[in-house]
Amino acid sequence: MSERTAEKILEVKNLETSFRVEEGTVKAVDNVSFDVYAGRTTGIVGESGCGKSVTSLSIMRLIPNPPGWISGGDILYKGKSLLGLTPAEMRKIRGNEISMIFQEPMTSLNPVFTVGNQIIEAIALHQKDLSKKQCREKAIEMLKIVGIPSPESRIDDYPHQMSGGMRQRVMIAMALSCNPHVLIADEPTTALDVTIQAQILELLRGLQEKVGMAMIMITHDLGVVAEVCDDVIVMYAGKVVEQGSVEEIFKNPKHPYTKGLLNSIPTLTKDPTGKVKKNRLETIAGIVPSLLDLPKGCRFQDRCPYVIDACRPVDPELRVIKDDNRLPHAIRCIRDI
Amino acid sequence: MTTTTTTVTETVSLDKPLPKGRSLWQLSWMRLKKDPYAIACSVIILFYVVVALLSRLDLVGYPWDAKVGESYGRPDTSSFATFLGMDIFGRSVMYKTIYGLRIAMSIGLVTACIAVPLGASMGAIAGYYGGWIDEVFVWFYTTLSSIPDLLLLIAISYALGKGMTAMYVALISTSWIGIARVIRGEFIKHKEREYVVAADALGASDFSKIFKHILPNVSHFLILNFSMQFMSAIKAEVILTFLGVGIQGLPSWGNMIDDAKLELARGVWWQLTGATVAMFVIVLALNILGDSLRDALDPKIK
Amino acid sequence: MFTFLVRRIIGTIPIVFGVALVVFVLFNIVGGDPALMMVGKHATAQQIADIRREYGLDLPLPIQFLHYLRDIATFDFGRSYATRQKISDMIMNGVGPSLSLTLPAFMLTTVVSVLLGLVVSYFRGKIIDRVAVILCVIGMSISVLAYILFGQYYLAYDLRLFPISGYDYSLTGRFEYLALPILLWLFLSMGSEVRFFRTAILEETSQDYVRTARAKGVSEPRVFLKHVLKNSMVPIVTNVVLEIPLLVLGSFLFENFFGIPGLGSITIDALHNSDLPVIKTMAFVISLLLIFGNIMTDLIYALVDPRVKLS
Repeated sequence: MSERTAEKILEVKNLETSFRVEEGTVKAVDNVSFDVYAGRTTGIVGESGCGKSVTSLSIMRLIPNPPGWISGGDILYKGKSLLGLTPAEMRKIRGNEISMIFQEPMTSLNPVFTVGNQIIEAIALHQKDLSKKQCREKAIEMLKIVGIPSPESRIDDYPHQMSGGMRQRVMIAMALSCNPHVLIADEPTTALDVTIQAQILELLRGLQEKVGMAMIMITHDLGVVAEVCDDVIVMYAGKVVEQGSVEEIFKNPKHPYTKGLLNSIPTLTKDPTGKVKKNRLETIAGIVPSLLDLPKGCRFQDRCPYVIDACRPVDPELRVIKDDNRLPHAIRCIRDI
Repeated sequence: MTTTTTTVTETVSLDKPLPKGRSLWQLSWMRLKKDPYAIACSVIILFYVVVALLSRLDLVGYPWDAKVGESYGRPDTSSFATFLGMDIFGRSVMYKTIYGLRIAMSIGLVTACIAVPLGASMGAIAGYYGGWIDEVFVWFYTTLSSIPDLLLLIAISYALGKGMTAMYVALISTSWIGIARVIRGEFIKHKEREYVVAADALGASDFSKIFKHILPNVSHFLILNFSMQFMSAIKAEVILTFLGVGIQGLPSWGNMIDDAKLELARGVWWQLTGATVAMFVIVLALNILGDSLRDALDPKIK
Repeated sequence: MFTFLVRRIIGTIPIVFGVALVVFVLFNIVGGDPALMMVGKHATAQQIADIRREYGLDLPLPIQFLHYLRDIATFDFGRSYATRQKISDMIMNGVGPSLSLTLPAFMLTTVVSVLLGLVVSYFRGKIIDRVAVILCVIGMSISVLAYILFGQYYLAYDLRLFPISGYDYSLTGRFEYLALPILLWLFLSMGSEVRFFRTAILEETSQDYVRTARAKGVSEPRVFLKHVLKNSMVPIVTNVVLEIPLLVLGSFLFENFFGIPGLGSITIDALHNSDLPVIKTMAFVISLLLIFGNIMTDLIYALVDPRVKLS
């Protein structure tokens, strides 16, 4: 699918999601905006607790309430606000138009039902004209598509009879069984072995090419981003700190936090004599601030090696530094480094 | 490359100290202080303790077996003794209720004070040492818990004769099992943890590992179990006494309710009311305090 | 399945032995001379000697214990001292009324409480939930004796909606006499039961698979009735295990109040008559029923949870 014609499917506009905790109210997601296009993948990157999972659950309107709720902004699906839908209308979207797969394939499947039962449930919910037999056939077909060997018999297995990678394939089969236009993948490979990770990513990318759906890839792993994403959003303490195309973010990171993240990936380079040299790994000093106790001004200031006095009083706005992509390269930083 | 890395990590320092960590106990205490129900219930329990002590010192509700009015005299607010009316012998129901309170509180306190440490140390030893000690222990408690509490209590009070002592022995012998089971399970989990392995590497003795290292980490179970045992002992005493295997010749709440069984048809409701309301208040307070303690100590279960 | 049962039954042999040992020690050793207990203080030496011989109490203790084990194995517990009836006959007569009371009461309580637990956790944090939790805590703090006394007095004696007490062996008679005890049983257990199931169900609702179901577009009632309920069966069965001993207590209390001639009544009567052989047998037999109940629940675990294998 060409970049020019890709259709804008999902718009997240100034999203704000809050949680009530013992000590007060925190905004886990603060003024986050991005667009998602058909056939393209948007990555949301950040450390745990930065709000990336909350963002994805907000899109699905699955924020557990209490204690959480969407406190501001809007989410448009094909131009229509999801926040204005009734619960019944929203259920028709979930699993049908927008699907989601989760981090823990071990616990995300219901342990007391067969995997077939769970896939068929999704199909039967959204494709009411199919007979029981057709639903089952469709489920077997989905299992075949995600690469599960002898799906006719595995369909009657319980989740505990499958390996982690198999279960994640089942999750993907379930999520894609109704041909959604958007797939949200929340750390889909984090709990898996490295070799299985690559297979699952390969599978996702292949399926995306086949059906042309949009994908949101939530991850803390920049390797995953480099492999599957077109656009990248870097989040820190509930806010977007940098966004842009994957090439821009990797080749030309501008926010100190993004630079820090990229520097914390192990790399091998060759020195002039051609010998492989292991580079020392960098870390980002300090810890993520508690959302209850955010510094005034830039949220990254306490960990930032480039901090100056001007960073302290005001939290900077997101500013565009290079408008060459559908998602312009922008950073939330006052410095040019 | 290497040099820059080192300079970066050296020059970046935190200009703010890290947030101070708070221990489980401090956090729990903070939560409890903010919980009005917990405070109200503690006040009620304290009040019961004080009344029980005053009764023990014969300062309140004494003597309970003196005639203060006519047989089945109706409640009469003119004096404290007649406030809840009179029983068949003209004795003050108020005084009897207070005496019953004293019995209930001593049963609850003695049972919990002995059963919890006993169960905890048995569970700790079984869980810590494992092997044949554990097997014998598991056999023992499975056997005991296969005999319904009530029948064990009947058997013990039959064997030891009815009265307070039999009641204490009976209640303790059934109520240590629950906490022992929990603590055994926790010890099996904890003895593999790094901090215990570390203590072991430093040459800590078994005694020090059990009591100094592991026990403090599972002690919130003891507190929760204490309030639960206190409550169930009170309830059990009332039912056993009611069934005629408990305390005899003294106005326990169970005896009062047993009397009331026949009085109700004659329109005499005050003896039943005195005993059940007194019991309801303390059991309710212990129930709510138990919940608050659990929420404070183990906030993930709500 | 069959091998599991066999293995499980073999596994209970040490426990049954332990129960027999505890009962024997309590009644024949700690409790003093059983012969004296049975005949009372004013018996002649000849009477005591006769009793000793009749019950084999003149033999050494280990032999007595072996005899007791033999009696257990042959289900021959001798005769009641008070009524001279065969104890095995008394048990056979008592089991029917006891089970007619406890089983329906127990099932009704479990079903109603699980349903209410589902409703309450569905409305988690809402006003219905809060009121229900408060009612539960109040309900479980009221003495069971108060429920039974008030119920019997107002519903049976005052309003004459039910017979006050008694029992009839015909089916309709059973229903007539047991309706009130079963209803009261339901009410007095509901507080703690509903609260327990609410907690168990809420625990399940925070699991990842519930989020997955919602993300598929499954409606809330279906999330609860299909996904959560089936998973909650494990804690529900666990609760059943915990409740079985309470059935004994319940049967004692209700049989006592309502004059139902079950095992509880037999035991309480025996207690008042110092009828040692009967008390001893009851303690043992009721423990056996309890052990049997635990084996049953192990089987049910395997039915509700595919991860449990019976091997």
